[in-house]
Amino acid sequence: MNYAPETKLHLIQGEHRIVTDPCTVVSTILGSCVAACMRDPQAGVGGMNHFLLPGRSDSHEGVQYGAYAMELLINGLLQQGARRDRLEAKLFGGGKMVQGLTDIGRQNAIFARHFLEHENIQYLGGSLGGVNARRVLYWPVSGVARQQRLIDQSAVFVAETPRVPDFEGDVEMFAA
Amino acid sequence: MPAAADISVLIVDDQMTMRSLIRNSLTQIGFTQTREAADGEDALRALIARPSHLVISDFNMPKLDGLSLLRAVRSHPPLKSTAFVMLTGRADIDLVARARQFGVNNFIVKPFNTATLKVKLEEVFGTLT
Repeated sequence: MNYAPETKLHLIQGEHRIVTDPCTVVSTILGSCVAACMRDPQAGVGGMNHFLLPGRSDSHEGVQYGAYAMELLINGLLQQGARRDRLEAKLFGGGKMVQGLTDIGRQNAIFARHFLEHENIQYLGGSLGGVNARRVLYWPVSGVARQQRLIDQSAVFVAETPRVPDFEGDVEMFAA
Repeated sequence: MPAAADISVLIVDDQMTMRSLIRNSLTQIGFTQTREAADGEDALRALIARPSHLVISDFNMPKLDGLSLLRAVRSHPPLKSTAFVMLTGRADIDLVARARQFGVNNFIVKPFNTATLKVKLEEVFGTLT
């Protein structure tokens, strides 16, 4: 039995975490956003991201932003010894939070599924869609995930403001 | 003014999604000669077999990263004058300094759109037709 105290990390939109400690659990609250939970079971490393695409899932900006969010997570895992061909993923979120408006959650979910398919990353399942917000708990090293549907969704609306990325960036640019 | 269609490009990134996005953007700008490589080693092999005018490379890649690829290109006489544009994340400020030292031609910060890509390439080649 492992009696080590559990470490809890909470993730907000735009963040990602990489974990190698089996006693660490990552949590996040999702409405339309999607969280990708990914790990390499052999290397004993896993992590989670939490993103919301700024546009449609098939727009250049939307895919660029989503692909970058995934890249940060994957690169973080590879830097801790993971191998791309051993990665497995679970996806959560992508709910339809406002009836009658464009289904942003669905767009996020479609992107995430397509991304895993294109990158040949094994998809183990999860929970996408629906009309409820959810709290997700993920133990990255063991790969165990739990989800709780939330009745009071007011906090999620405040937290999930689409953040359109600054496409110019803040690194100094120059030409030769 | 150089024609985009006359410039051959090698896109180097370990994510297929990112390679597709860059290829689509290049097509929109007018580039027609594009090739892809999934890491620095593949890219170097491809360049030695057939040079390109331009390399657009990610930094974080398995086997041979973007910076090592840049150094290899600059130290290989037939490839020495290849234009090299590095894709980078916001936190890679140190990389900018090191890549500058090794003769990178420009940087593009991810995520970026087609307009930004065009501007960055025109800073290297001049206005593209």
